Amino acid sequence: MARRIDPMQELVLIQPGRTAEKEFAQEAAAAALRREFEERLAECGPLAYRVARGVLRNSADAEDVAQEALLRAYRRFERLRDRTRFRAWLVRIAFRLAIDRTRSSKRREVRETLWSQTAPRASTEDLAATSEFQEHLERAMDELPEKHRLVLLLAAMQGHTIEEVAEMLVLPIGTVKSRLFFGRKLLAEKLRCHRK
Amino acid sequence: MPSKMKTCEDYRTALIDAAAARAEASEPSHELRSHLDACASCRVAYAEEVQLFTAIDTGIQAVANAEVPASLLPLVRTQLNEQPVPSRSWIPASAAMAAAVVLLAAIVLVRGRWRATDEPVLQVSSVTPADLPVVMQSTPSTDAPRELLSAPAKNRFVRADKTTRVPAAKEVSVLIPVGQRQAVNALLKSVRRDKAGPDIFSAEKPEEALQELKVAPLTISPIEVEPLADVGAESPSQKEATKR
Repeated sequence: MARRIDPMQELVLIQPGRTAEKEFAQEAAAAALRREFEERLAECGPLAYRVARGVLRNSADAEDVAQEALLRAYRRFERLRDRTRFRAWLVRIAFRLAIDRTRSSKRREVRETLWSQTAPRASTEDLAATSEFQEHLERAMDELPEKHRLVLLLAAMQGHTIEEVAEMLVLPIGTVKSRLFFGRKLLAEKLRCHRK
Repeated sequence: MPSKMKTCEDYRTALIDAAAARAEASEPSHELRSHLDACASCRVAYAEEVQLFTAIDTGIQAVANAEVPASLLPLVRTQLNEQPVPSRSWIPASAAMAAAVVLLAAIVLVRGRWRATDEPVLQVSSVTPADLPVVMQSTPSTDAPRELLSAPAKNRFVRADKTTRVPAAKEVSVLIPVGQRQAVNALLKSVRRDKAGPDIFSAEKPEEALQELKVAPLTISPIEVEPLADVGAESPSQKEATKR
């Protein structure tokens, strides 16, 4: 026998204004966040790629890392209180991700060389584009301390003054200058035997 | 005692430093310049160091200014579309839970104090209920579903004293059948976004497009105007009256 349902028991109380307003506000905030991020994307996307490329020396890997860095930055964009620090923040994310990838690829390389000694370090295209000195230079850069390497890369990017690099890395200008100086000297020590 | 004469080896470090600092537009010291003027081999060594640092700078610039692939930004934008909306909350879950517990404890504490202060007021109101203005106590919006179902029992007359709180703006609450909840929410959403079309309430759309309604022009037949019947002629009732 079918149980008769009291229609009053099936009613539910809603507050349409509040629910809709909340949803609307959430969507509007998300859209505003997305717009704000996209405004920065065009300017800072290439920066992330170049930082990653400087560390990884491989276009495909650098593109992967830059994408990952940008997506990670988007996911955490809400947490960034001072949005003027976005560039510095993104540079650090991209640099850290690139360093991590280098380390993991080095581990993989070590594993692979146990089986095959002919594993190429970079793609053929990348190798063809670099001269012998350039190759030595990039290897020497790999061996630099991270703090020197990042400063050298950022300072070498077109349009970056030492003041901008200092601002980006939240460092005093004197520290940036000193890291540049010692970074270049370290590179020179490593490359003296491979002069052009 | 005269200082010992410096050899080329002593100038070696100064020479490298000077070459490294050239990028910062810094010139060799006066002492080093005098030595370079005098020593041909150190001049050559200095020139080689300058060349090395220039090559290093060029190489780093080549690395740092690599061409950005055109596919990078479109790919990122595509992936952004697939990303969930970034979380607005930056507070760790444990901190949020701790805050919730503290808030709950505070609410319990405040409620307990309220009850303690409410009791004497109710006793006073039972003594003199008539000569004071009364208000209908409104239920708090947070308890609305439970309160509304038993509304008649909850509505009571209380004193309009300072302890009675009346909310500034009431949230409109609507009772709807359970099964229509989603539909109502969707409807409200579309109305909010001005996306609701004229057919939002229609059960089904007409299959064929509506055709223009043709209406025949209104024709008015000419009205014939006739003079009134003979005014002098008397009606039968009038005739009877005159007979009398």
